[in-house]
Amino acid sequence: MIAIDAYAYNNKLKSVHPAEKSLFAMLTMGMCLTSSTMLTPFIVLVLMAGGIVFKAGIPTRVLIRLLAIPMSFLLISVLTIAISVSTDSSGFWLAQTVKGFTIGIHYPDLLTAANLFLRSLGAVSCLYFLALTTPITELIAVLHTLKVPFIITELMVLIYRFIFVFLETATMIRRAQYSRSGYVSLKSSFRSMSRLFSALLGKVFVKYQDLYNTMAARGYNGEIRVLSQKRPISLRNYFFIAGIEIPLIILNLLWR
Amino acid sequence: MSELILEAVNLEYSYPDGTSALRKVNLQVQKGERLAILGSNGAGKSTLFMHFNGIYRPNSGFIKYQGQDISYKKQDLIELRKKVGIVFQDPDSQLFSASVWQDISFGPLNLGLSEEVVIERVKQAMLDTETTDLEDKPTHLLSYGQKKRVSIAGVLAMEPEVIIFDEPTAGMDPRHSHEFMQILEKLSLEGKTIILSTHDVDLAYSWSDRLAIMYRGEIIAHGLPGELLTRPEIVKRADLTIPWLIETHTELVKKGWLPSSAPLPKTKTDLFQNIPAKSGQQSA
Repeated sequence: MIAIDAYAYNNKLKSVHPAEKSLFAMLTMGMCLTSSTMLTPFIVLVLMAGGIVFKAGIPTRVLIRLLAIPMSFLLISVLTIAISVSTDSSGFWLAQTVKGFTIGIHYPDLLTAANLFLRSLGAVSCLYFLALTTPITELIAVLHTLKVPFIITELMVLIYRFIFVFLETATMIRRAQYSRSGYVSLKSSFRSMSRLFSALLGKVFVKYQDLYNTMAARGYNGEIRVLSQKRPISLRNYFFIAGIEIPLIILNLLWR
Repeated sequence: MSELILEAVNLEYSYPDGTSALRKVNLQVQKGERLAILGSNGAGKSTLFMHFNGIYRPNSGFIKYQGQDISYKKQDLIELRKKVGIVFQDPDSQLFSASVWQDISFGPLNLGLSEEVVIERVKQAMLDTETTDLEDKPTHLLSYGQKKRVSIAGVLAMEPEVIIFDEPTAGMDPRHSHEFMQILEKLSLEGKTIILSTHDVDLAYSWSDRLAIMYRGEIIAHGLPGELLTRPEIVKRADLTIPWLIETHTELVKKGWLPSSAPLPKTKTDLFQNIPAKSGQQSA
């Protein structure tokens, strides 16, 4: 999560308007999820991986590591769809019969599983594209222009900021605990961990009060308003998006 | 010159848990002056500052801004906070936004300024604090000194009349604290009133026009820095030390290297100028 965040602020597509990137990622994800062919998810996956690596300049190993995260869930669910166990050994495409039980794969199930696998991975790659190229603060600004209620965007701003404040505090407390042998045994680990959490909880309230005071000092009156950095709107990017999405739509329609 | 801008009259405040934080505090701040508030940790400096722009409400006594008691109505408080800005000690509690640019724009936008003016002010504040190259960085990737400068920019962008700095140089490296002092110098030249709290006696002595010493919620002395900090009984009572400039000067006078008529040096340069060259080594 921290790595994704660091890349979002430091990639070659940083200065592209966030709305353009969001539109691209969301539309492509829509194409990927609505397709009835396996070809579209495959194209989407290649497209997004290429965009992340070549356009945004994110190292390939980072992308592979990130794609490996959903892989474990994905493989488990895909395997349960593909493999069947039955007492009836007919209709299997690939099977092994042991003591009257047949474990194997039906061909249509295999197709469904492969389709599901590619489709999920394609959709995830769209999300990664967005997450790796667009800072949360700019995404929030896009949500703002989409008229998402203030209360939600403000909460997002504060939660996002405070994830890092608390992470830092927790890291510091943990380091201090380690330096006093806080985690030498299982027992002391549990004790140290519980103290870490109770210390953090206490700090939440202190930080909350501090934040309120500092915001009040700068004229806060119940609504957080900030200016976002203006990003140039590029017509070329919209043409590019159209140039990618239209063929995908056609592909999806033709394969119905 | 001696026009009063802020005034605390018989201020008393205790925290909800009963700890008494301020006792009968009287303090006058003159327009355009540099006022340093010296005190050890827990002396009540920050609590006093919270009263100056109406975040804390005193149990008794009052705050006056330009001769008028401040009102705690919402609209009046916004007016007051336009005039009196505070840069807090911990930048992490002040920076609520993840983006430097957004955070600096928060204050001026609350003043109801137009977008163009806000952009202008944000840019100027970033120039003044040398944070322009940080504008795209998220606040959580900044170093402590950078966060501190961004939080200063966030207050400068509101262009207040009075700027209060709570322990501004704590945690800054020598270069940045030197640069910070230059920002202060510039603000003073622009006619801003600056109040600064610190427990750095050397800083307070060299920088301030006037000094107030706090101890356990009381102002135990106020006056000219050269008068207060030469009195060991005050300095000791407040858990502080005598500035090294004064100590060195006194020692030089005592040992006969300087005449007792020599003026008290305000800066290091002053002190060095006072010290005569050894006879026979005179040059230029």
